[in-house]
Amino acid sequence: MRVVVADDVMLTREGIARLLDEAGIDVVAQAEDAEGLLREVRLKQPDVVIVDIRMPPTHTDEGLVATQRIRADHPTIGVLVLSQYVEPSYAMRLLEEHPERVGYLLKQRVFDVAVLVDALRRINDGETVIDPTIVSRLVGRRRRHDPLAELTAREREVLGLVAEGLSNGAIASRLFVTERTVEAHVKQVFLKLGLAVNPESHRRVLAVLAYLRSDPSD
Amino acid sequence: MADSRFAVGLGLALLAGVALALAWAVAALLSVDRAGDFETTYAAALPAARVGDLVAGLALIAAGGLAATQPRTRILGVLSLLAGLAWFGADWEGAESAQPILRSFGAVVTPFTLVFVFHLVLAAPDGRVRSSAARVGVVAAYVVVGCVTVARAVLRDPLLDLYCWRNCSDNSFLVHADAGIANALDQVLLWSALAIALGLIVFAWRRLVGATGPGRRAMLPVIGPALLVGASEATYAITLLRTPLEDPDRAGFAAIFIARSASYTMLALGLAWTVLSVSRTRARLTRLANDLGEAPQPGKLRDTLAAALSDPSIDVLYPRGGSGELIDADGHVAEPPAADRAVARITRGDRPLAVVLHDPALVNEPELGRALGSAAKLSVENEALRAEALAQLRALQASRSRIVETADAARRRLERDLHDGAQQRLLALSYDLRLARASAAGESDEELVSILHAAAAETEAALEELRDLAHGIYPAILTEAGLAPAVATLADEAPIPVELGTLPPERFPAPVERTAYVVVDEAIADAAGRGATWLGVRLGRDADRLVVATEDDGAPRDGRLVHVADRVGALGGSFNLADTDLRAEIPCE
Repeated sequence: MRVVVADDVMLTREGIARLLDEAGIDVVAQAEDAEGLLREVRLKQPDVVIVDIRMPPTHTDEGLVATQRIRADHPTIGVLVLSQYVEPSYAMRLLEEHPERVGYLLKQRVFDVAVLVDALRRINDGETVIDPTIVSRLVGRRRRHDPLAELTAREREVLGLVAEGLSNGAIASRLFVTERTVEAHVKQVFLKLGLAVNPESHRRVLAVLAYLRSDPSD
Repeated sequence: MADSRFAVGLGLALLAGVALALAWAVAALLSVDRAGDFETTYAAALPAARVGDLVAGLALIAAGGLAATQPRTRILGVLSLLAGLAWFGADWEGAESAQPILRSFGAVVTPFTLVFVFHLVLAAPDGRVRSSAARVGVVAAYVVVGCVTVARAVLRDPLLDLYCWRNCSDNSFLVHADAGIANALDQVLLWSALAIALGLIVFAWRRLVGATGPGRRAMLPVIGPALLVGASEATYAITLLRTPLEDPDRAGFAAIFIARSASYTMLALGLAWTVLSVSRTRARLTRLANDLGEAPQPGKLRDTLAAALSDPSIDVLYPRGGSGELIDADGHVAEPPAADRAVARITRGDRPLAVVLHDPALVNEPELGRALGSAAKLSVENEALRAEALAQLRALQASRSRIVETADAARRRLERDLHDGAQQRLLALSYDLRLARASAAGESDEELVSILHAAAAETEAALEELRDLAHGIYPAILTEAGLAPAVATLADEAPIPVELGTLPPERFPAPVERTAYVVVDEAIADAAGRGATWLGVRLGRDADRLVVATEDDGAPRDGRLVHVADRVGALGGSFNLADTDLRAEIPCE
């Protein structure tokens, strides 16, 4: 897998590159700002890009803006956005326009090279990756009349994994059950929560996140 | 006392002057009636001219008498009176049955009609000729016409004058007859009349174009007819220069005479109207003074004054103690007055209370000060004190909001420093520890692997704490993504269920967003502290304010959330608390 890393802080950029190198992933270029990243993407045509959300010049959401450009211009190239913020708003904004081949991970998550490599592979396979911290915060959100209370423990587990962007197959292997069982669970969850979106579509991650964030009791 | 006795004396003198003028006019007309076959005046030649002649002269005299009763227009009144008298000079000159000395005198004064009116128009509205060019023009007109008429009286023998018509027999002032010089002087007199008439037109036109709205309205009744006087007198002079023999039976000459009579009449009426409107203004000022003395309306002095003086452009400013700045009634610092504005000062003793900026054509300064009695000045002083208090309040408000903004900026900087500095270094350290652990594992050094594993875990924990700390210092998402995402995150993390209504998607000024965020954050903590199981939050824009309203089901409040109230207050907003409800309104424009 060929990867481009973009982060304005050299230490972080190098650190990630070395970790990936150790894991046998080919880092073909590094960039320190969004403009450099877009240039490297055009030149090197990588499989996946890792980009920091906060980069020069304004240090706000340059990473998200660059992601939208890359996803629009090069639909086959996946993007993993790294952030130090547990911000569902950012994650959802990322999914709104291009619900596949994107990921949002907290920066310290990539300490665990296995997690990082797994995320890159999933994105390369066309899936979505949402940081578990964000998902658990949304699932654990206090609600007045909690519709999640109607779900079984296993169904809630499945809902969380769906929100993290896992495919049915990936969920099945994570929970040591068959894919058909997972499919049944997912259908049941969507039914109980009244989610209208097709449980098989790429849009299901965003739909679940939005649902978790809303006040369904109203 | 001395002033009022002087005024009474002057009034009597004026009455005597008016009576004398009327006698003069009546005598002149009687002499017209006694005229012989040969027509020596327009009044004798034509009934219409007789009416016009009489009306114009009497109007000038009457308007002059009226104007002379008002201090402001006294000089104009005297000039109008003199012009009226001079106007009848032509009738005397042509009165064949009158004494020769009177006929000769009539011939001397007649040319001054135009000179007096020229002076009058240039001295409007208050008797002062303002520009130095105009002063030179007035003096030159008096000197030239004066010298020429005197010289002409001394040198002209009517018997030798080819073009004589009003009086071809008598000149009581004749010293030495010289027909050549007398003829030349006639020409000079016509040319100077033409020059004065044109000067009148130019000056009147420039006054009219240069004035602003209310000033132009006030001047038009005099300046407008002045243009007509200039035009008819210029036509008269040009006609005489081309056709030296004046003949009232010729339609052209008759028409010019009627036009001159009409224009002088209009000028006199205009002057009278101006005088009356000035006294109306003074009456309004007196009423205003009474109103102010009886029922002061805070902040309304300017409007009251503008209505009383019918000058909507009026400004009332108050000098700020010490600084010399001028402030308006709301306490805003005002620009120094523009050069074309008249400034009237209202003082109490020698202390300035207020300055009134107004149109210079409308009212003169001492009058305004006099009209406002001591009761009115008390209310002006109240208004000045109120303006001063408002100005201080404004300064305090500005300093409050600066303090809040400075503190926010410092927090924001601190958050950014943590993010870009300590957090990045800890991250890098963490990567290094991971790598070291991997290579230790490769060399099967189990002890080192476990030490490095623990170190990496510690680093991660430190990072986590640092992240929460930075978020607590300043929520970066507020600046980066705006109020709606930031408040949604607050709801995600809240210890009790928080239900958000529709959030306004637009961005607000940074201090407004930050304040609304703090209100929601504190409302959540407050509700949780009072044992609420639920908090409802409504955020919305209402015209120029951002409204934050919350309600919950906790125990009634006893605290007052002072620091939140302070923060909202610093932006000039309002903050209201009930038992379990909260409402903050923050100005956002």
